[in-house]
Amino acid sequence: MLTYLIRRFMIALGTVWAISILTFVIIQLPPGDYVTSYIAQLEASGDIVTDQEAENLKRQYGLDQPVTMQYVKWVSQIMRGNFGMSMEWRRPVGDLIGERLALTVLLALAALVLTWILALPAGIYSAIRQYSPADYTITFLGLVGLAVPNFLLALVVMYMGFRYFGANVGGLFSPEYIDAPWSLARCWDLMKHLWLPALILGAAGTGHLLRIMRANLLDEIRKPYVVAARARGLQEHRVVLKYPVRLALNPFISTIGYTLPVLVSGSIIISIVLSLPTVGPLLLKALLAQDMFLAGTIILLIGVLTVIGTFISDLMLMWVDPRIRMES
Amino acid sequence: MKLRIVLIILAALGIAYLVINFKPAPAAPQTTDAAAPSSTDPQTTGATRLPRLLDDADAVPASFAEAPMLAERVAADALPPIEQRLPAEPAVIAPTDEIGRYGGTWRAGFTGPADGQNIDRIQHNHLLYWSADVKYVTPWIIRAWDVSDEGKTFTFHLRKGMRWSDGHPFTTADIMFWYEDVYQNEQLNPVRANWNQIGGQEGVWEQVDDHTFRVRFSQSYYTFLTELASLGVAGHFTRGNQALGVFAPRHYVKQFHPDFVDAAELDVQVKAEGFETWVQLFKFKNDPKLNPECPVTTPWLVKTPVNTAQMVLERNPYYWVVDTDGNQLPYIDRIVLGLAENLEVLNLRAIAGEYDIQGRHILMEKIPVLLENQQRGNYRVRYWPSQAGTDAGLFFNQTYDGDAEVAHWLADRDFRIALSIGIDRGQLNEIFWLGLGLTGSACPPATVAYSPGEAYRQRHAQFDPDRANQVLDELGLKQRDSKGYRMRRDGAGRLVLEVQTIGAAFINFTGIAENVTEQWRRHLGIQAVVQELERSLSVTRHENNDVQVYVWSNDGSDNPWAHPFQVLPNHVRSWAPLFGRWWQTGGQKGREPTEPARRMVELYEQGKAVPEQERYALGQELLKIYADQAYVIGTVGVSPAMMGVWVVSNDLGNVPESVPFSTPAQTPGHALPEQFFFRVNGADRPGT
Repeated sequence: MLTYLIRRFMIALGTVWAISILTFVIIQLPPGDYVTSYIAQLEASGDIVTDQEAENLKRQYGLDQPVTMQYVKWVSQIMRGNFGMSMEWRRPVGDLIGERLALTVLLALAALVLTWILALPAGIYSAIRQYSPADYTITFLGLVGLAVPNFLLALVVMYMGFRYFGANVGGLFSPEYIDAPWSLARCWDLMKHLWLPALILGAAGTGHLLRIMRANLLDEIRKPYVVAARARGLQEHRVVLKYPVRLALNPFISTIGYTLPVLVSGSIIISIVLSLPTVGPLLLKALLAQDMFLAGTIILLIGVLTVIGTFISDLMLMWVDPRIRMES
Repeated sequence: MKLRIVLIILAALGIAYLVINFKPAPAAPQTTDAAAPSSTDPQTTGATRLPRLLDDADAVPASFAEAPMLAERVAADALPPIEQRLPAEPAVIAPTDEIGRYGGTWRAGFTGPADGQNIDRIQHNHLLYWSADVKYVTPWIIRAWDVSDEGKTFTFHLRKGMRWSDGHPFTTADIMFWYEDVYQNEQLNPVRANWNQIGGQEGVWEQVDDHTFRVRFSQSYYTFLTELASLGVAGHFTRGNQALGVFAPRHYVKQFHPDFVDAAELDVQVKAEGFETWVQLFKFKNDPKLNPECPVTTPWLVKTPVNTAQMVLERNPYYWVVDTDGNQLPYIDRIVLGLAENLEVLNLRAIAGEYDIQGRHILMEKIPVLLENQQRGNYRVRYWPSQAGTDAGLFFNQTYDGDAEVAHWLADRDFRIALSIGIDRGQLNEIFWLGLGLTGSACPPATVAYSPGEAYRQRHAQFDPDRANQVLDELGLKQRDSKGYRMRRDGAGRLVLEVQTIGAAFINFTGIAENVTEQWRRHLGIQAVVQELERSLSVTRHENNDVQVYVWSNDGSDNPWAHPFQVLPNHVRSWAPLFGRWWQTGGQKGREPTEPARRMVELYEQGKAVPEQERYALGQELLKIYADQAYVIGTVGVSPAMMGVWVVSNDLGNVPESVPFSTPAQTPGHALPEQFFFRVNGADRPGT
């Protein structure tokens, strides 16, 4: 058991190291650097950058160092807990991500909980009433939820909110609460804004999950042990909930590994469309501006969370399902 | 489950609504004025009224008044009385319509730390500045100036008693500190600025007394005044982040400069703030947009910086500008800019009336929706058209060297003319400009002083596919392939041009380029491929001379000496990158320029050396060449496409009906936002 854990841990460590290299390579891949994208951005916004200023900037940021040197510098900084300074925001990367992380996770958790609350019962119901009108309806709606891109849903809902309900457009706070300290009123204001993006974010996930649940349960429900349980006169809901549902949940647990990074990165597109102060828009902007340290840290964070999540889901599977063996 | 059903029905309804309501853009939105309450708007007199700086000494009022929020602080002894805060010679502004009242919060939107221009333009921090119609240079921080020695020597007079926002006097020490310790510091500014040179010689700045300084050049350089008034030079608020900006708060920033403090101590501070070098620390501390501690000379001072979710600005108690009744400006207490992560959200917020004045980032294609919601959102849409020739021009690289055959055609005037008259500009105007623009060449309209006239405005801009085809045939491009495309002369198949655009700009360059190339295909049998590039890549390719044709607006073409960048080839990111490099490196690198590009730069250099009246003729000749050569093929211009669609709350007074949109003069800065005011009580308004 212990050796298994240690082995998994060492593999995880190696993976994180590989991710850090990959992250850096990905960020270096596009042509140009922060200075060229800075110039482009200024010019696109109606400012000008003279040839002299461009030259000044290139020298200031020292982006001419070899890539390996830049990588070593970056990693050694991170080892010391310093994620560097964002070039675009001119603030420490740790602060920037930190202030947006809580809201990001809150939003994703809200969406996740909503998804599970909707998808699991619906999935179970449509499996045990297979080919009934209710099953068809649920399946249809699930597929629609899967098929409609959620950014489109976000745009439409946002326009509706403005047109018919006079709601604030986008964001997670009303303007007066953006800089306010935390208070009950601010929490309530957040709740008023949070449910909509959570719902939109959960729409596709719900469709996906309920289809998986339905398929898994259908596989299980036909197995002899279920027939045997029924034959012994167990009540139908106990038959279903006690055995096949538990087994059908296995795939869910093994995907918890992916849930952790999704908490950070899942809401990127929705956040951009709805202008939510989460990590998503930060990442997009950092990538566009080639803000190396900021983009690198976010991608690394998502990578590390995937590794941790996988590790946790391995442990949980081991615990839930004793059939899984510890040796490879 | 019910929620989801409701949601999906909502979504379906939304799509249906959009589909039903989709209609082609109206030819011209004529309902603008009818929909708005116009009793208070000064539209009846015909010509737009504009605010004005009064520069004679008699205009200075006898007594002064201040905003209630400052009076409170004076009463509490937290601030000296108004008389001690204003200079002996304050700048006096005659407001657009009327004396305003104090109070209120101006709500607007911005898109993040790279959107500093948004607030730069409102603050318009310059030593000299432009009149509201952008026709002449006016005093600003500099109260008066003398030009002597045939335009070689400039003597500038500051306002006695003017102060930084922390109460410290603003004197020539702040200008000399910038010149000697910031600009001439090799680490802060390793490369010399073009605008401080003429004939390859740098201007020399010297202090005369506390309120007078002098700049000497070795040759006549009259346009130095134009430069000082414009974006290229600007001031501390705009360019302090690059250690430029012609003045800096010496008493504050010298503590981050190694010539003034102990190097070891400075190093500790650099590390403590997370920077690597003192240069980075200095540029950060000298940037008021990022560092609210940094004193300013602007109407509003920064309370929360530009790298947060909400940028907040508050009135500067030491602002040195008053109205004709002696009320210290600005009228509006606060500016709050909310971060919008994308332009759709920003535009929807404007439509919902969540902004008081917003022009930046308002997209032209939103005009129909904006007009539809004017009453509901309590705002009016105003058009502030640019005076530039074309909002989307096709710039032909004259020094392309990637493909000899293509390079030959790009440099062939007749070829460019054929492509120019092969474009139906009326169609472009209807589709992309909602009919609000004027079709023509890249030459600015005849109303501009430097314009060579309407004939050049229309030069090579009349749609005539027959003549275009005839020209192309005669040039030796008669051969066509089986699909009808013209073939290269060297036998290497079809002639294909690459047109480079960037996305996410203020104007839909890619859409316009697609339409133009489609017209070339249909009318002329010329194949051109549009490539939308990521922005950084487009800059890199441009600097490497890898671009054939690119699409951009030629803003500033209305005054080549205020903003020469889209007209002249004397810099690298121009329509002749190799010529540009040649000029920039004094002939060391690049390619020696040919006529008439060379003549254009000569005219520009000549214009620098003569007073404004004599410069008009040179400008006209310069723009004649520009239009006649069709280096830049104009499509549609003189429109509000580039940040010229303004959403203005009905509660606001003194916002001009229209001003020309200008990059060098930093619209809306020259409409003097410090004299905008709220008619209704601040407390009754949202966001306060």
